[in-house]
Amino acid sequence: MASLSFSLSPEAIYQLHDALMCLGRFGDNVSFEAEFDLLRLSVLNSTKTAYAAFAFDADKFFESYSFGVDRRNMSAGVQSHKFCCQVLIKALVSVFKGRASGRNKDTSVERCEFELQDNPDETECRLVIRLICGLGVIKLYKLTYEPVYVQHATFDRSRATNEWSIEPKFLKEVTDHFGPSAEQLDIYSEHGKTVFTSFTTKIADGKEILRQPVHTSVAIDKRDFEYYLAEDNRHIAINLKDFKAVLAHADIVHARLTARFTTPCRPLQFAYELEGVKSEFTLMTRGEAVGDDGPSSSRAAAPQLSARQTPAPVQVSQQGPTATDASRMPPPSSRSRSLRPLTGTPARASQTPAESQRPQPPVEFDSLFVPADDDRQWDVSNDEEAPAEDELGWDATGDKDTFTASLRTRVPNEESEAAEIGQEEETGIPPTQRISQVTLSALPT
Amino acid sequence: MRFRTKLTNAETFSKLTASLSSLGKTCWMRLEPGNIRFTIIPDQGTQVWAQLPIDAIFDESSYILESNSGGIINLEVPIGALHRALRSAVDAKSAQLRLTQKGRIPLLALTIRTLSWAPGSNALGIITTAPGTGTGTGPGSDTPNGPSRPGRERETVITQEIPVKVFHESAVEGLHEPRCRDPDVHIILPSLGQLKSISERFTKLASPGHGFASAADAATKPTATGASAAAPKLELSANMHGALRLAIATDALRISSVWTDLVNPSLDPGQLSQGEIERLPSERMRAVPGDDEAGWARVRIDGRDWGKVLSVGRLSPRVVASFVHETALILYVYLPGTFNEEDSCLTYYINSYAA
Repeated sequence: MASLSFSLSPEAIYQLHDALMCLGRFGDNVSFEAEFDLLRLSVLNSTKTAYAAFAFDADKFFESYSFGVDRRNMSAGVQSHKFCCQVLIKALVSVFKGRASGRNKDTSVERCEFELQDNPDETECRLVIRLICGLGVIKLYKLTYEPVYVQHATFDRSRATNEWSIEPKFLKEVTDHFGPSAEQLDIYSEHGKTVFTSFTTKIADGKEILRQPVHTSVAIDKRDFEYYLAEDNRHIAINLKDFKAVLAHADIVHARLTARFTTPCRPLQFAYELEGVKSEFTLMTRGEAVGDDGPSSSRAAAPQLSARQTPAPVQVSQQGPTATDASRMPPPSSRSRSLRPLTGTPARASQTPAESQRPQPPVEFDSLFVPADDDRQWDVSNDEEAPAEDELGWDATGDKDTFTASLRTRVPNEESEAAEIGQEEETGIPPTQRISQVTLSALPT
Repeated sequence: MRFRTKLTNAETFSKLTASLSSLGKTCWMRLEPGNIRFTIIPDQGTQVWAQLPIDAIFDESSYILESNSGGIINLEVPIGALHRALRSAVDAKSAQLRLTQKGRIPLLALTIRTLSWAPGSNALGIITTAPGTGTGTGPGSDTPNGPSRPGRERETVITQEIPVKVFHESAVEGLHEPRCRDPDVHIILPSLGQLKSISERFTKLASPGHGFASAADAATKPTATGASAAAPKLELSANMHGALRLAIATDALRISSVWTDLVNPSLDPGQLSQGEIERLPSERMRAVPGDDEAGWARVRIDGRDWGKVLSVGRLSPRVVASFVHETALILYVYLPGTFNEEDSCLTYYINSYAA
């Protein structure tokens, strides 16, 4: 049995929220590892090609932090010196959603208390989060957790032969030039420049030239780096989405980013430190990727990160609360708790944290009057529905056959599908006819 | 086949491609010795035929165009990708566009040189405190007085490679601009920004699902013959006495906006004889008194499509609208700031729906 409780100041809540948002870009579940001097939040992505971890210092980051292990009564997830469990990130993020902004001043959060209930007599596996707000408002959330053994990606900094450090702002401006379909990023340096090239390994339909991805490369001066200690012409490629996730967080917290790596196909680590928080992102790299046109996607092809502990976590989690514990664990104690959840639905989890990650939709201009010079006002308005189907188009070919024209509008840009529809038409039933109509005509009335 | 040029006006080019990309995914780009043409012919909706003199966006002195088919190159370009690429060039020191190929894929390669990303040397928020401290600072604790590196005198090179298709001249011979009968009314449109926001407001009000949309429309939707759910149709009309009316009607509402004192441009007398001009339908319409409904030419256009067309307003152009009563609306969009304004014209062909 382990006991863990800690409390956070509003500033720390903000930082924790940012970290969770960043972790959420790597996977669905965040692993908590409580030790005596730190709490580590980490995610290993599903393909095991990226590992992100934030270590929060017990003394510096938290207002109070207490962790203890009762060695006589060990439950799943408890080791001699630490406790590990896993929580759905969406659920956790939704607790803090909108809280950090302090929008509602009177009832803004003043303190946040976490308590882990690992006592079999107490309740199920619960992570209790208590938000203490202004005017005596207290918001209580109870999330379930899953005891697991946590896998770490190992990275030996002393053996990294290449290292560079840069303000994330510069790199963010590099990635701004990449198109939305870019998947991978190749980095190398030559002639005093460092070149970032986006590429996509997914083979687009060979004949559809226009659907081929746009290749973008951005060469920045090495002097933009704080320091750049890496071999020239050493190509190393990483997943662009992971890279952007790292950059986004580093930029928010104004931390200078350091990258360490050795050779392609060995891990690369991005790291930075804040007051009381250490961030590490270990990403698998690919080499010679530009010439590599293998049919499989890069993620599948990339070797897995080496892992320090590899017991099957699935088994552990199944052993956890479900089978064995459920029998001897009494139902949640009936004595009324002093603090009831105010909302009635404490862990309204899984609500749209993805939304906040998406790029903001273009601002809608509802005003009749033209605002200041903003190019976005000319964009097509956002609230559009599917294209209407009864429209007549200008027909450049001079084809007067409106029926084929309407067919074409129904299936734009897909000649093959249009051909299929044409065949169906020959077999007798036009594609627009309803099943009900067919049945009606077939039946004698 | 060679094509290479420097961009002189990346911003205009970028805005132009943005406007075009709202109407279609691919664009026929025709490079000629003196002009560039952009044509979008979507499966449905509005066609655009644009022609610009090369100096509107390219540097004439560096413009190199060579091909076997009369010095003309026809390309099919993914216009959205080109627009995205051009956005990198807007604030650049220089940008060059050339046709090249990688493997067997022809590409438009855009090479952009830029001096600094961030305007101002101190806006970078650099936090170089004592070297080796290793710890950054938390949010809000930036030190404006801290030692900051001087402004960036460093060059960044961005290359964007956009895959394109090259057409032979024979492949595009059959494509012609649409032809219509002589228009009934010519009028210079008011501010497109105002027109766009009002049009969108009207369209939104009449959209199915909105409170003001007719309940009958919603009820009949599933039973209509395969094609209903159409976006609301705006009714746009104008007369030869400087008035333009934008209206929309559903079962539940009928609203309209009227502009007056607009200009009805006169046709170039150099191209037509006096007799021909007098026989034009627009002159007959001019003779009808302003308060007579017979003097109005009217078209019904798709609200969504109209919004896409009006996205050309980002170029702040002068727009002449030619109404062919109950048949079509043709917009002549003249770009500002070119040496000869008349030479750079985007022509939009918008058909009218039956009532």
